[in-house]
Amino acid sequence: MKKNLSFVIALVVTATLAAVPLFVKKDSLLTYLCMILLYVSLASSWNILGGYTGQVNLGHSAFFGLGAIATRLLWFAGWNILLAMLVGGLLAIAFALLIGSPAFKLRGAYFTIGTLALGQILYATVGNLFPQISSMPVQDLISYTLVTRYYLFLAVALITVLAATLVANSRWGLGMMAVREQEDAAESLGVNAFQHKLLALVLSAFLAGLAGGAFAFFQIGYYPQYPFSPIWTLDSTMMAYIGGTGTILGPIIGAIFFVVLKEVLSLNLAEFHPTVFGILFILVVLFLPGGFMGLWKRIKDKQQKKRESMAELSHP
Amino acid sequence: MKSKFGVALVILLLVSLMATSCAPKAVETEAPVVTEAPATEAPAETEAPAVTEEATYPPAPEFIELGSSISLTGNFGSLGNLILPGYQIAVEHINAEGGVFVKEYNTKIPLRLTYYDDESDPTKAVSKMETLFSEHELTAYLGGGGSSMHAASIPIAEKNKVPYLGISFALYKIHQQGYKYLFSPFPKSPNQTEDVFKILNEAIPEGERPTKVAVFAYNDDWGKEWGGLVKERAPEYGYEIVVYEENPVGVNDWTAAIQKAKAAGAEMLLTLPIFPDGSGMFKTMAELGWTPKFSLVIRAPEGVNWGESLGKIGEYVTIFPGWHHGAKFEGVDKLNARYEELYGRPADLLTGPAYACVQILAQAIEKAGTLDRDVIRDTIASGEFSTVIGKVTFNADGTGNVLDPLIQWQNGKMELVWPAEHATAPLIYPAPAFEDR
Amino acid sequence: MLQPLAQNIIYGILIGALYGLAAVGLSLVFGVSKFLNVSHGELLMLGGYASFWVFKLLKIDPFLSIPLTIIFLLLIGFIFYRLIFSRLIKLEVEKKIQNSLLVGFGLSTILQNVALRLWTADDRSITTAYSGLSFELAGLRLPAVRLISLAISVVALISLQIFLKKTFTGKAIRATVEDWQSASLMGINIHRVYLLAFVIGCALAGVAGTLVSICYSIDPSMGLNWTLKSMVVMVLGGLGSMIGTFVGGIILGVTESATAFFIGGNYRLIAGLLLFLIILIFRPQGLFGTKEGDR
Repeated sequence: MKKNLSFVIALVVTATLAAVPLFVKKDSLLTYLCMILLYVSLASSWNILGGYTGQVNLGHSAFFGLGAIATRLLWFAGWNILLAMLVGGLLAIAFALLIGSPAFKLRGAYFTIGTLALGQILYATVGNLFPQISSMPVQDLISYTLVTRYYLFLAVALITVLAATLVANSRWGLGMMAVREQEDAAESLGVNAFQHKLLALVLSAFLAGLAGGAFAFFQIGYYPQYPFSPIWTLDSTMMAYIGGTGTILGPIIGAIFFVVLKEVLSLNLAEFHPTVFGILFILVVLFLPGGFMGLWKRIKDKQQKKRESMAELSHP
Repeated sequence: MKSKFGVALVILLLVSLMATSCAPKAVETEAPVVTEAPATEAPAETEAPAVTEEATYPPAPEFIELGSSISLTGNFGSLGNLILPGYQIAVEHINAEGGVFVKEYNTKIPLRLTYYDDESDPTKAVSKMETLFSEHELTAYLGGGGSSMHAASIPIAEKNKVPYLGISFALYKIHQQGYKYLFSPFPKSPNQTEDVFKILNEAIPEGERPTKVAVFAYNDDWGKEWGGLVKERAPEYGYEIVVYEENPVGVNDWTAAIQKAKAAGAEMLLTLPIFPDGSGMFKTMAELGWTPKFSLVIRAPEGVNWGESLGKIGEYVTIFPGWHHGAKFEGVDKLNARYEELYGRPADLLTGPAYACVQILAQAIEKAGTLDRDVIRDTIASGEFSTVIGKVTFNADGTGNVLDPLIQWQNGKMELVWPAEHATAPLIYPAPAFEDR
Repeated sequence: MLQPLAQNIIYGILIGALYGLAAVGLSLVFGVSKFLNVSHGELLMLGGYASFWVFKLLKIDPFLSIPLTIIFLLLIGFIFYRLIFSRLIKLEVEKKIQNSLLVGFGLSTILQNVALRLWTADDRSITTAYSGLSFELAGLRLPAVRLISLAISVVALISLQIFLKKTFTGKAIRATVEDWQSASLMGINIHRVYLLAFVIGCALAGVAGTLVSICYSIDPSMGLNWTLKSMVVMVLGGLGSMIGTFVGGIILGVTESATAFFIGGNYRLIAGLLLFLIILIFRPQGLFGTKEGDR
């Protein structure tokens, strides 16, 4: 029953999102939704490795950036955008495979800071190799339609969430969670920790790479170094945590909450909006451990307990 | 269950993907379609304005809407906070006279500036630019500060076909993209790299010139553009580049570069350090004992606190900031007086050019007689404007023909040292060695 | 050839000492309470601003006003701990790291914005009468302020070591790091220990900030870079070793300087980070790390 219900809800939500451009004409609102979808993708892709497998990767922006730069270069050279994005995703995968083996020798905080350093290296290197602004030619601005960008972001978000759902509910997903809980114990039960971590990394990378490709298609003028910035990683990580890691809905809720809150605050409180945002953020962290999904889970558990105790009373 | 879920999602995905693949490829070159720009009307009305010259005019909009996505926080926050008051005071002054007279409506209409903080983030800038466009019937955008921010925002203005007046960037490359709606009354790299050598040759007799040049640049596009132009121009004017050092954008340790400059006997320094980097650079120069006789340092010393923060170490550096409150143009006194009321000092370096942007717009609107964006664009492109930064005309690429004054830090104050007719103090050359100060 | 290289190495050591000092504070807090305080850079910034304003308004020499900076940061650290971080101590290790990351992020956003509003985005620097002064030794220039900064960093480190090894409180802290349950059973007030480690970490950040404001400059958005740097140095040196962290900082500083000199400024940061990663691959617990990295 429950699976049916969530399936229907997912379908309705997807259909609504797909229909949005039919009745939303304002470019600003579409841009805004694009940003939300982008962050949903980034947070969800991060969550595969960070939430489900428990490996906190602070170099996530490297994959985002690689996808963006490959896509941008190929697209400007005349390739079809979808093919360019695919190559972007593959480049991200290639990088993930390259660093996977050495990276997973590190555990815990060492892995986290190691990946952070890796992300920084890429950021600096791309800044050195590609210092010039990347700008869409003026003639093409005429044919720039926000609606296509929206659908692309939507597609990437759907693919990401779908991939995360499929993996989470598969045997691989169970293995990943086992690695998260107790890596050594999982190993002793026959779960190849390295394989699971690598799969999570590769999938996470591919999806972030696709998101990067969508970004390259969307942003008209930017410096190639920009998508490699650690801010993208930090924001996605925060969103996943706030929403609740290790769940599918968590990163989605976190992304929406984060983006909407920031936007509302910055539009209404010109100078102090970051302060208010920071305070609200801290409050959520302190009083909602496990994020929004954690809260949701606690509410459901309470209801469950209530139902059980009611059942107890009526059937002594 | 799962398979049904999967199938439905896949179908939806295919539909979405098909929609995206209909997007045109990036290299398609379509000739821009020249559309008849619709006349901006009052929000409530739907009638076209009267064609015949009679006593009735269409009802005027309540405001002439100006929009600005500007960095008030983050890396470029310092720039944004200097630029915004310029816009605000200009709007205030113009509205004090009742606003701008627009012939189309036969009345004066006040200006209204809506601004949002883009947090020095180019993607947020895009979002804010779109928000401004959606929320108001914009007549023009007013830019923020910093090349990367402009690079993100200007295409949006171009796409939306709204005139964009921006300052606080010298990157010339932006003007080579073919934008039609961009206007920047601000000196660019070609001006700066030419003027420095011209001024030196004018002010200093031949035997005493600092002919050995050290360039400390970043490896970003402005750094490469500026550095490239310097390399080209220096020999033309009789200068030799003995040291050229690059660093990534950010706070750096320039020790190696300074050592090389000292070893090569460099007498002049040309550099574009960002705000925090400038302090470290000069302190290290003092410690290592290398004093260039002349230094052109754009960006870092433009902060009002440079003199106080660095004391004698920060003296004698020169800047091309685009403007100075001592310039003797009409309206500068009024601007300075207001700024003094608000902030306790005469107008800052970027305030003048920001104020001028609004002046240019107001004059263009009045000349055009309408709020039609394309007509205004054409009027700006072909007009001559009289502003607090002097007389301004624009070139086809959107750059402005403006004065490029040279400023020097002397005795803890910024003095205008060139051109002579506006100078508040003479150029001090050569700069005394750090240890003698 | 040798002389400029030596000059460069000296500068590398001097800046490395700053890196090390900044990282030691972070490492202490993380080692004891498993809080990864990503607002560490902002605390450093606050220390810098404190010194700057004391210098500007009260005309007190910045090196002499370090005790004031320490007191200020102890107070601030106390407030932040009580208000925010103390609520995280009941969580298990993983959640502690995660939530302190989150909370630190929120705190850094607030502090950056407040600093910006209060003191504008302009960067500030402390320039004293002796700021450009350098001693000459064998053709090498040794800048006075950096030498003093190095001395202060070393003194701070040694004081910390003495405190940890010789005093009762210090031993209590080390006991808590080893095994907090046993420590608690022995009568040590764990909460007090966490608080102490936290405020000391803040104070160290503050002192580093003072030194940065003298040698370089401070501005509201400097925090992130210093936090990232501190995190790298902390792991490079090895979790659990204060001296190791400091040495790690110096190694990083020297690597960066030498790279800038031999290869070019563009590769300075990259080389440092690559070195860090290579060391980490061969010694996953850092150079002087005492324990396996925990989850």
